[in-house]
Amino acid sequence: MPNKNGSVYGLTILSPIIEDPRATPSHDLQIRDYLAGLSTREDSPFALAPGTHLARLVVMDDVVYVGAPACEEHLKSKYLIFESNCDGDLDTYLSGLAATVPEHLDAIWRHCVGYPGAGNRKAFIDYMKACQLETTFFFAAVNNKTVTETLRALQTQTAVADFIAAHQGVEPAVLQREFIQFAAHLKSQPIPLPGSMGPHRTIETGGRNE
Amino acid sequence: MSKLNETDIQGFVLRGYNLPFARYLFLHFEDASRARSLIARLLSHVTTGQRWDGGKPQSTVNIAFTHRGLQHLELPEATLLSFPVEFQQGMKHRAPILGDSGVNAPEHWDKVWREDRVHAWLGINGLTAEALDARCSALHAAMEETGGAAILASQDAAAVVRDGKPTTSEHFGYTDGFGNPDYLGVQRSSQPGQGKLLPDGTWAPLATGELLLGYADEAGELPVAPIPHLLGSNGTFMVYRKLHQNVATFRAYLDQQAALYPGGKEKLAAKFIGRWRDGTPLELSPDREDPAIVKDQIRNTAFTYGADPEGSRCPIGAHIRRVHPRDAFGFNGQLINRRRITRRGLPYGRFAPEDEPASDSEERGVIFMVLNASLPRQFEFVQQQWVQYGNDSRLGNDKDMLMGQHGGHGSFVVQGDRSPTNPPFVCTNLPDFVELRGGDYFFLPSITALGMIAKGLVDPR
Repeated sequence: MPNKNGSVYGLTILSPIIEDPRATPSHDLQIRDYLAGLSTREDSPFALAPGTHLARLVVMDDVVYVGAPACEEHLKSKYLIFESNCDGDLDTYLSGLAATVPEHLDAIWRHCVGYPGAGNRKAFIDYMKACQLETTFFFAAVNNKTVTETLRALQTQTAVADFIAAHQGVEPAVLQREFIQFAAHLKSQPIPLPGSMGPHRTIETGGRNE
Repeated sequence: MSKLNETDIQGFVLRGYNLPFARYLFLHFEDASRARSLIARLLSHVTTGQRWDGGKPQSTVNIAFTHRGLQHLELPEATLLSFPVEFQQGMKHRAPILGDSGVNAPEHWDKVWREDRVHAWLGINGLTAEALDARCSALHAAMEETGGAAILASQDAAAVVRDGKPTTSEHFGYTDGFGNPDYLGVQRSSQPGQGKLLPDGTWAPLATGELLLGYADEAGELPVAPIPHLLGSNGTFMVYRKLHQNVATFRAYLDQQAALYPGGKEKLAAKFIGRWRDGTPLELSPDREDPAIVKDQIRNTAFTYGADPEGSRCPIGAHIRRVHPRDAFGFNGQLINRRRITRRGLPYGRFAPEDEPASDSEERGVIFMVLNASLPRQFEFVQQQWVQYGNDSRLGNDKDMLMGQHGGHGSFVVQGDRSPTNPPFVCTNLPDFVELRGGDYFFLPSITALGMIAKGLVDPR
């Protein structure tokens, strides 16, 4: 079935970017400039709004001409590509974006043809769906858990691994007592913020996000 | 693929010499024309890949250059700029990519590597210490007579002697040097487990272009190589890393953890690496050393991890499983065939037997050399993703137990099973068992290319 893998939804949206010779700088450059300043951590719009596992925004200028004997082809317009792996129902997800980060959505999509604004919820959802392409193959590291469940699971995994490492060889009675305390404490912990659990690595791979 | 021209390829590329003594000289060129005359003189010494049908020679000589060295030999600018950018930058500059930080950061390297003066590596191996010295004297004479190079530093290395015999042991007590990849066209006695895994479970040689420039690699592409084509062909890139071993730290940590581990000290030591200290693969013999397997070349590298997906025999993070995952990532091993490296090297420093005290400060470790066609795709990838990170093995941020730079943090998980002598176990607060003391990236040219360099005939047009 397209668009779904387990409970995760693979969303692909292609929005044509406005071609206006009077715009300075051109609309595609304005989108690029805005995207370049977006955070990729806790304060990313996709971390603030609910339900995004991972998302990517790309400005596509044209198809690449690879030289003879390939035939030379061009797109009719520049496009903004929005790909998101998100939780469940599409209407709920898009509504969540429009309710939580409307200023980001408007700042990005106002450069696209026919964008109605996030303020008009129904028109916004209709617009996004009109731009949607069927997604038949997408990356899903965890395909049957919501973002919240995944964050809780990561928190639990890290905490339990640390607990085990710190309690190897401990007397059973002590172990049981401390485990009960540990489990109660863990349960009382707030769920970590989306985007907050990325690795803090000392190694560089050349990407901006690391 | 027809047979390679073994007379054109440096012998060091095609085979591990298995000669117990080595000296690595690091040269500095003052004057290009004198340096070129030196290379012309050295050409008669350089050991090629021709088979030793008349028995092993007394000694061997091989040569390789840093990018800076090639600049000092005044290769044309257009050629110098055509080398892969990683080689042009050199290993020191690549430290952030390789994770060479903390105790491994360049500011802690030996003096010769902190400065940017090494232009060439001369690798001399000898059957005896006397043969090594004799060959080195001849090389010194060539350097003096031509005035072609000054020796900045000299590094001796030698097989560890235990009970009076040279061995393939390293300073932590593990038997080392099992298996290198097989490549198409390279004539050597191959053994199962050394090339690439085929869907039917047999092993086949890797594409020649994974080792040598000028041949198709596993993707059917020619590796990035300098121009002209003739300069790169039959050559390769070499990584030289001097790895200091903190033997006292290793012993103390192993003792301390073994006290908590019900499987016993030797089994825990085996779990770190994936082989018992005598070399027996855990995958083939999870409970005890088995000298019969170690001696049997048909068996000692012939294993896969498919039947041990949980790592209960060989931990998922064990050194040999990390750096050569075989079938562990699925897809019949195809995800790893472009990440294989050929390793050379010998230990340096005096071996301290288990019953003798050892300190971290004593000069001892291993000279680790890598040969590969692509520095970023092969060596750098293995170092960054498989040694200094754990994601491909689903081990999160965990690094290689012995080779990783931990700084007192990190963990190593022994997965184990339900049996009382093989329980799950977690090692934490990992010290740095191994420290990088320097090194660089080198270009190891063919005999033809050495001749072109010596005669000043490198022409990129």
